[in-house]
Amino acid sequence: MQYYLTLLSFGPEGWMDDIFRGIAMTVGLALATLPFGLTVGFFVALAKQSAEPSLRLAGNIYTTIFRGLPELLTLFLVYFGISVPLLSKVAPDASPEIASFLGGMFALTVVFSSYASEVFLGAFRVIPRGQYEGGYAIGLPHGKTMRLVVLPQLIRIALPGLSNLWLILLKDTALVSAIGLSDILRRAQIASRVTKESLLFYGIACLIFLVLAIISSIGINKIERSTNRQGAGR
Amino acid sequence: MRIGLRRALAASAAFLAIGAAQAQELNLKIGTEGAYPPFNNLTADGQLVGFDIDIAKALCDEMKAKCEFVTQDWDGIIPALQAGKFDAIIASMSITDERKQKVDFTDKYYNTPSAIVVPKESELKGVAKEDLAGKTIGVATSTTHYNYAEQTFTDSTIKGYPSSQEYMLDIANGRLDAVEDDIVVLQTFLDSPEGACCKLLGVPTPQPIEIFGPGAGIALRKGETDLANKFNEAIKAIRSNGKYKEINDKYFKFDVYGAES
Repeated sequence: MQYYLTLLSFGPEGWMDDIFRGIAMTVGLALATLPFGLTVGFFVALAKQSAEPSLRLAGNIYTTIFRGLPELLTLFLVYFGISVPLLSKVAPDASPEIASFLGGMFALTVVFSSYASEVFLGAFRVIPRGQYEGGYAIGLPHGKTMRLVVLPQLIRIALPGLSNLWLILLKDTALVSAIGLSDILRRAQIASRVTKESLLFYGIACLIFLVLAIISSIGINKIERSTNRQGAGR
Repeated sequence: MRIGLRRALAASAAFLAIGAAQAQELNLKIGTEGAYPPFNNLTADGQLVGFDIDIAKALCDEMKAKCEFVTQDWDGIIPALQAGKFDAIIASMSITDERKQKVDFTDKYYNTPSAIVVPKESELKGVAKEDLAGKTIGVATSTTHYNYAEQTFTDSTIKGYPSSQEYMLDIANGRLDAVEDDIVVLQTFLDSPEGACCKLLGVPTPQPIEIFGPGAGIALRKGETDLANKFNEAIKAIRSNGKYKEINDKYFKFDVYGAES
């Protein structure tokens, strides 16, 4: 028992400090990716339903490619194909960790946004034309109609789909160990290989992912309730 | 043979001395996995330790290079080398033809040999084909060691086991005269409580490269022959000046280098 407590301590003999750094990496990467992924996804969705055929084509090519490729492959392609060459030109002195973090963020943004664009597109289609026409009828310009009338409804409709994507994103961060970042899974793997206590450390990784999922769903529920309140007030 | 080797070493040492005087500071990033004890692994307080790491440090000293370690998951380790995240992989990577298409390798820096373990009270003296004639040898199937046993010990009964766990049980219970496997696997067994039954008999020679492969080498980007030569010279140098043995003995009770190449 003493032995296991030592393994799970935060001191120099214990692995929990390493695993907590892994949690910081996983959560940090997912949180850093989210805003970019949502923004890009939103604009790709706009492109895909625009009147301009070339924009529609570009949007469709984007989602076809990045939803079609396995995530790990996208990660390799984006990281080794784009991030590394680009970063070595822009900032040749950047440490490997920063390069990996930005590369991982970029790759996950690409994957997240291609899925998110479909969720947004689905939400756009649910909102009837009448909502836009109502906005124009009371004299709102296009941008304001979008922001004040369409967007609040859009978020409410898209939220279940987006919360799915958020959980997938959290788990996808486990792939970034392949480009050299030490996330939860990689830290747990090192600990289990060194101490030969695989069940213990993979079990802990399981628990951590479950706890993250629970915390996420509490947060998402809060957002959902607040958007519903807003909707009822209007 | 021996004189030839010494001469070659002396020549290479001289070559190194000139090279070191001419070359400006060499900065190297060394990639390693960090999850493969006892060769390379991170400890609980974040230190990189292991045989690979000590060898890498010794090689860097020998080449007068400033080395920095980068840990990287095994899956992405070759792409990361190619992308320039580091300049060399020192992570117990076996030299294979498949990998050679993507990277260059230095000479091996170790090749753990196949060894023979027998019960403590065994009267077997040697590990040659004649010594083991008529005996039953346990080996894990679908390993290189099984192929080797089948081809070498043709006068013995070779008994195949799904994994090392099973033959370990059988030799502990006296159902086998000997077992053959990688020496690191056998040493771990001998060091465990179950291994008290047995002792290391020896390492059979020769250990053919066609069966076992050349061993573990340092992987470099294609075309880096200069760096490969430097590493090769440094490996030879630490082999001859005792540094290798010192590191070897810190981790193992036997010579992991294998046959001289």
